[in-house]
Amino acid sequence: MEKEDLITRYNYDEFVPEKFQPWMRWNEAPAAGTVGPDFPLWELDGTETSFGAVWAKALYTIVEFGSFT
Amino acid sequence: MNALAEKYAPQNINSIFLYTHEAHPAENYPHLSSMEQKFRHAHALREVYGVTRPILVDALDGACHRAYGSLPNMSWIFDRRGKIMYRATWTDVHSVEKTIADLLEVNKRRRNRELLTPFEVEKLDFREADREGFYKGLERNGPRAVKEFDEAFS
Repeated sequence: MEKEDLITRYNYDEFVPEKFQPWMRWNEAPAAGTVGPDFPLWELDGTETSFGAVWAKALYTIVEFGSFT
Repeated sequence: MNALAEKYAPQNINSIFLYTHEAHPAENYPHLSSMEQKFRHAHALREVYGVTRPILVDALDGACHRAYGSLPNMSWIFDRRGKIMYRATWTDVHSVEKTIADLLEVNKRRRNRELLTPFEVEKLDFREADREGFYKGLERNGPRAVKEFDEAFS
């Protein structure tokens, strides 16, 4: 999938099954007990950090995924 | 979840909100097409919904979100090396708190030199179905969000 196409499909413009269901991939998510994959992330002021840098800060890190909508 | 974060922060438990994509895009908060827009929506989440935890923003293509299964409101708990201690298809404060309490108890037992070994558990947990609150959220997104949700699950 081309990068632009991926961005468009991931950021679908309407909540219809053919657009949101392809992203429901819980069965492909990493298992408990494994080390989760690391990715770059950004703070609200635009500063780049990473998932790994966040985990390393505390004994445990609770992560809620979501958005405004 | 904000109150939970404050309650356990003194015990070295960190809590973050990871901004993904718009699950129910509509007139007021449309689908994302730039990082600038994604940051604006993340700021709005803080202001309108009062999220006090640090908000981190994923890439526009959702690289992190996609790698973790792409569900709209998941919760995960990691240890400091990134080991996955808990993963849930939905965020529920009671479920998360039970797990944090269990993990802190394990740490306490290990400090007392108990020899503990991990094993995996799968179970269903249960949350309050706040239909009214959910619909208020959809209405805030715009009328189209309500219509599309009703049509998708009618």
